[in-house]
Amino acid sequence: MTEGDLLQRIAQTLKQDIGPAVEAEYPKTQAFMAGVVLQKLGQQLALAPQHQRDQAAELTALIVELNDQLQTIEAPEDLRRTLAEFAQRRDQVTLCSLIEALYGARAALSAVNFARLLGRIRETLRADINRRVAYAS
Amino acid sequence: MNKATDDTAALEPRIHDYLKHRLPQASNLELRDVQRIAVGWSHETWLFDLHYSEEGEPKHLGLCLRRDPGNALLRHLSDLEQQFRVLKCLEQTPLPTPKPYWFEHDVAILGAPFLVMEKVPGACPSPWGREGRAFYAAAATRGQLPASFTATLATLHTLDWRAAGLDFLGVPAPGTDFVRREIAKWRELIALSTPKPEPILTDLICWLEDNMPATERVTLVHGAYRTGNLLIHDDRISAVLDWELQVLGDPMYDVAYVLSDLNREGTPLLSNLVERDVFFRTYEAATGFVIDEARCRYYNALYAMRSVAFWMSASGLYASGRSNDIRLARTAWSVPVVLERAARDLGY
Repeated sequence: MTEGDLLQRIAQTLKQDIGPAVEAEYPKTQAFMAGVVLQKLGQQLALAPQHQRDQAAELTALIVELNDQLQTIEAPEDLRRTLAEFAQRRDQVTLCSLIEALYGARAALSAVNFARLLGRIRETLRADINRRVAYAS
Repeated sequence: MNKATDDTAALEPRIHDYLKHRLPQASNLELRDVQRIAVGWSHETWLFDLHYSEEGEPKHLGLCLRRDPGNALLRHLSDLEQQFRVLKCLEQTPLPTPKPYWFEHDVAILGAPFLVMEKVPGACPSPWGREGRAFYAAAATRGQLPASFTATLATLHTLDWRAAGLDFLGVPAPGTDFVRREIAKWRELIALSTPKPEPILTDLICWLEDNMPATERVTLVHGAYRTGNLLIHDDRISAVLDWELQVLGDPMYDVAYVLSDLNREGTPLLSNLVERDVFFRTYEAATGFVIDEARCRYYNALYAMRSVAFWMSASGLYASGRSNDIRLARTAWSVPVVLERAARDLGY
């Protein structure tokens, strides 16, 4: 049994056995909600390895394509530096910084280039959020 | 668990003593039908009837007591004292609100600050449950409650907030100041919850800051005007409740909330109650304002930011041990759901 399966199993016990046996309204709700939380954690845990692989591949593609785009246009140094940092660290913190840097560079970029760069980042964000809502909703 | 979670039975004699002190002319005070109606999410609330004698005459007072549990969602943004002050200001206006009686800072009285206000007749069915949805669906067909819903919002938006003394809420400067303040407020709440980085949220905030609309007129804004926050009696709104998010600003901020599909459970009726065309027609006629749908779409995106701030704050309360309510832990998974919706609002 995987950790994810175990959490799902406990969630089922909380929802089907423990919760219904509790009479008082508040602890009953808490038992049911604990089941919901464990169920989501279980799903998240089970999907995590595949999601991490997908995300890593997408970040690599994003970095390559953004670098390619920035080579063909005039862009502020700050934006290039932030992209370089993101390429090195590949984490959510520097991705946030990159988005902020892109908005900060908006006036220096043409509307078309801004939209193209932001659109490419959003493509990656969309893929990521689709994965997360699979277990969150 | 927080320190102010005495159960109702333990609290009753303390409430009794407090009211005895507050009503020195009263004798034979008796609390009846004491019931706690909210747990955990916001301020703790008790409803009860006070029976007493005064100069030999039997008297009765329906009361509502709200206590600050010390860990309520949005606590630092809206304390009970401000709620009390807002209700005091609204007392002289045509807006139906509970009459506020007393506010107490002194934690020695009931273990935490609290306010006492009138128990207004009516019910407040939750629009999220099956029974509530059935209630609003039936009311929608009768027509009187939808009309009252819209008329009450129009009253809220057209009342003279300066005359009422509500300028203490902060009067936004002309232009984008109102929106700037709202973004800053929710940014602060997000920062307080020490969240993990969320690139879609960063995109959303950057977009909001890049596209701030100028406020054309300033009115009182409730901030969460929907069924579930409105008391209903005899098919009309008997009181506007939940004065926790009010602000002076653009009335379209409230209108956007009414128009939002967040506040209707798969029904085309706004807030589970009002037909969209009817709402537009009656609201515009009653206020003289034209509903600006583009602006409402902007505010809808701002509500997404606000929702993320709520859920991050709520799950943070649980994660940090300031609350033991597991419902708050559950809200950590509401963040990606709202962000997905925000991404759609932004066109991706």
